[in-house]
Amino acid sequence: MQSYRLLLLPFFILVVSFTILYPNFADRTLKVVVREDVYSLPEAEQKTLVSGLFDRWEKDYGKSSGWTIEPKGTLPPKENPFYTVKGRFITSAKINQISQENQSLVNESKNKLEPTWIENMIRGGKSLSIKLGLDLQGGMRVVLKGDFEDYTSKLRDLYAKEIAELNLTLNNQSAKPEEKEKAKNRLSEIESSFDLSPMRKIVELEKAKMIIDNRLTTQNLTEPQVRIQKEQDAIEVSLPGVSNSAAILEILQNTETVEYRLEEPNPFTFKSQIAENERRMMDLGQREKTDIYVFQELVKNKAGKKAQDEFLAELERKYNIPKDYKVYAMWARGNSAKSTLLPRSFVVLERKIALSGNDMTNAQPSYNSNSYGWMVSFTLTPNGAEKFFDLTSENRGRNLAIVWGDKVISNPVINDPIAGGRAEISGSFSEQEAIRLANVISEGALPIPLSVLEMRFIGPTLGIESIEVGVKAVAIGFFLVMVYMIFYYRLGGFIADLSLLVNVIILAALLTLMDFTLTLPGIAGIILTAGMAVDANVIIYERIREEIEEGRALSIAVTRGFENAFWTIMDANVTTLIAGILMIRLGNGPIKGFAITLCWGIVTTLFTSLFLSRLFMELSVNRMGIHHLNLRPFFFGKKEGKHA
Amino acid sequence: MRNINFTKYKYFTLSFSFLAIVFGFVVTFSKYGGFAHSLDFNGGLRTVVELPKDKTRTDIETYFQSKQIEAVVILLEKEKNIYQLDIGLGSLPTIETLYKEIPEDKRESSTSAIDRFVQLLRFEFNLPKEKVLSADQVGAVVGGELTEVGITLLLTTLAIILLYLSIRSQFKFALASAIALVHDILMTLALIGFLQIKPSVPIIAALLTLLGYSINDKIVVFDRIRENAHGKDNLALSNIINVSIAQTLGRTINTSFTTMISVVAIIVGGAAELYDFAFVLLFGVIVGTYSSIYIAAPISEIYDRLRKKKFA
Repeated sequence: MQSYRLLLLPFFILVVSFTILYPNFADRTLKVVVREDVYSLPEAEQKTLVSGLFDRWEKDYGKSSGWTIEPKGTLPPKENPFYTVKGRFITSAKINQISQENQSLVNESKNKLEPTWIENMIRGGKSLSIKLGLDLQGGMRVVLKGDFEDYTSKLRDLYAKEIAELNLTLNNQSAKPEEKEKAKNRLSEIESSFDLSPMRKIVELEKAKMIIDNRLTTQNLTEPQVRIQKEQDAIEVSLPGVSNSAAILEILQNTETVEYRLEEPNPFTFKSQIAENERRMMDLGQREKTDIYVFQELVKNKAGKKAQDEFLAELERKYNIPKDYKVYAMWARGNSAKSTLLPRSFVVLERKIALSGNDMTNAQPSYNSNSYGWMVSFTLTPNGAEKFFDLTSENRGRNLAIVWGDKVISNPVINDPIAGGRAEISGSFSEQEAIRLANVISEGALPIPLSVLEMRFIGPTLGIESIEVGVKAVAIGFFLVMVYMIFYYRLGGFIADLSLLVNVIILAALLTLMDFTLTLPGIAGIILTAGMAVDANVIIYERIREEIEEGRALSIAVTRGFENAFWTIMDANVTTLIAGILMIRLGNGPIKGFAITLCWGIVTTLFTSLFLSRLFMELSVNRMGIHHLNLRPFFFGKKEGKHA
Repeated sequence: MRNINFTKYKYFTLSFSFLAIVFGFVVTFSKYGGFAHSLDFNGGLRTVVELPKDKTRTDIETYFQSKQIEAVVILLEKEKNIYQLDIGLGSLPTIETLYKEIPEDKRESSTSAIDRFVQLLRFEFNLPKEKVLSADQVGAVVGGELTEVGITLLLTTLAIILLYLSIRSQFKFALASAIALVHDILMTLALIGFLQIKPSVPIIAALLTLLGYSINDKIVVFDRIRENAHGKDNLALSNIINVSIAQTLGRTINTSFTTMISVVAIIVGGAAELYDFAFVLLFGVIVGTYSSIYIAAPISEIYDRLRKKKFA
């Protein structure tokens, strides 16, 4: 390792790291988008709204932040309906707080932090700034109330048919007494499932909590906090550094399920009726009036699930669809794989669910190279496998539709009975959709619908004072350690400090690349990393000193010192790494946050202490003409050892 | 310096550690009935209140202390004087009693714990209704499952470390490291219980950090012992251990010193919510260093002696 050329590698890595970290320090632009309907309000109202925003702005960011906002104090022009905020250290999470408080002025979900050129280059516009956790910067707090009324009414729907049949048996004079008894028992069993005791509610909330937890983890939010509020039948979700609360809310509340339903039997009486009608409209040149076109418009305008449901219910009435059947839209892409998923036609399915998401587990998205699309394969539970076999053997020739949320995504014909516990869903999915569908199957749907009870921005859970003191303390600690190292090991200490700095910079860049959310446990991991990095250098210098004291030539002493220390450092770091990897795999929340920083910290530490320090050391000894290496502290150290 | 007899006191240190752990746990469970309650682990009451400008953190904290209510007070917004108050479930009976002491005309009858707590707060701090920004009874963020995960995690980690170290060096060192690691965790848990430090997410972070530090420390010492013992099977191990510990002592002191600097800075700095975290970490570093020298090394020696006896 005696070549200047090797310096190129750490130099290159440092340049890359600084580039990655650049967006954290760069001047940034944020667009705060004004709601469309504001422009049609009377002027007086507009003024109140605008002054509300700027009062709040002055209070929070007016003096201290150095941020600018354009245009100041007035409404932006209608052609460009947004305020442009510029400055350093802007996070959209911060601005969202103000947006939230001015909901009638700002369309918070459209706020956008403009990517810097580096983010455009490396990430295709995705953010590259370090996210701080709930404990360090606060975030969004959402309280979601479990809608148990809706839950029971859905449950009643599901059992409606069976209840009617059971009642019929009960009232039937000719039925046998044991049959009546059986029906009565079953009826009370069903009734009891509608009765939601507090205990039962908690169980359902716990289930929902678990699913929410999983969903948030897959969103790269490493440390969301989810807890149950018993008094209100609600779930409190605290989200660190969330920049788009609307998108997150959608993920949280999403109650979509995956299920199989049989299509109406061939010759598809109702479906063809609808299709016939649509064709006639098309022939008349009234494409805008076809049901499918209207429905597509509803979807495109984001009219919401309720509007869509009403539209479909209207359609059922229009075509006199019997109660046992329900109209669904069949969703697909247009001709190109990149076109959006939209409703393309209507199908009529049995209201009865043939196979529900509870019967499926372990879904995996995979790429199907034959059809150039993504598909999802899954395992059926033993119970589900049995049901699926019965279903497919009894209904040969009929179509079996897969319904995801409210969308029918495919309706293949049942050719043969399907045995064995595996099945797959192929549709024209994008990768994202395949992953989402797989998540819905694997994690299950939310057991209860959730509605937003409260949503607001919260401060850091550690408290502002603690963070200020903590940051100062860590900075002072770092500084003192560096001074101490120079005091104790002189040139060696300086080299150790240098490699420690490089270590932290590379680590920060790595964590940024991985969209890591930094929290206190994460910082603890970084402190431990720094400690172990210093330790590695200490071990090396102690070894070199021993070699020098035994009278070896300086360059040999350095080489041997590094070689002797190599396995000790390896052993210590590899064992810690194993522990860290286990923590990532088994642990959750805080444990995971700590372990991720620790593991990557070990990787960077091995690089900086075994490669970079050695390079610096050998270069200074062999190339820069340093003949005396004193690794004893100033003032009260022993006299330096003699070199041959 | 090379002649310090570290292993001489092994029976004393081993029994000292054992007794300290037992003592800590006995006090924890007999006197306090277990570890302290905390919002993160057990759930409790959480309120966010805007206090009058003349009230400070000290006022609230003194109030809770004087009434023996265990509360975590967090300043959320400086300008508006908004605080978050987290109350553990353990304090519910106290709140119940205090609620009944409010004069009849000042309180509305309410049944839920959170309502009663809010009324108490409003009465004590003379708060109008709208200054109580939110009040909820909340469940645990980490709790039951964390203990379970924690134990699985610790056991698997120990098993893998045992395996790795047995392959890389010798079983006796692996075993001694693992036992010393358990020792460090138990010691720290005993302290947490004894001082009734509230378990929280930062405390978990501190425990994990000390685990990592401790592994690191043990391996450095053992590597030196292994190196020195190489090819010298007949020499008394205790001698080798003493020499090796002495050789690595400079490094051990330096490392624990540098590690402690930041931790002490946090303690001295006075960050209220970080105090427990830093305190546990400081204790952990000391225990980790102590156990590398006085627990792990002697255990490997005792193991060696027992094994030799068996085969002799």
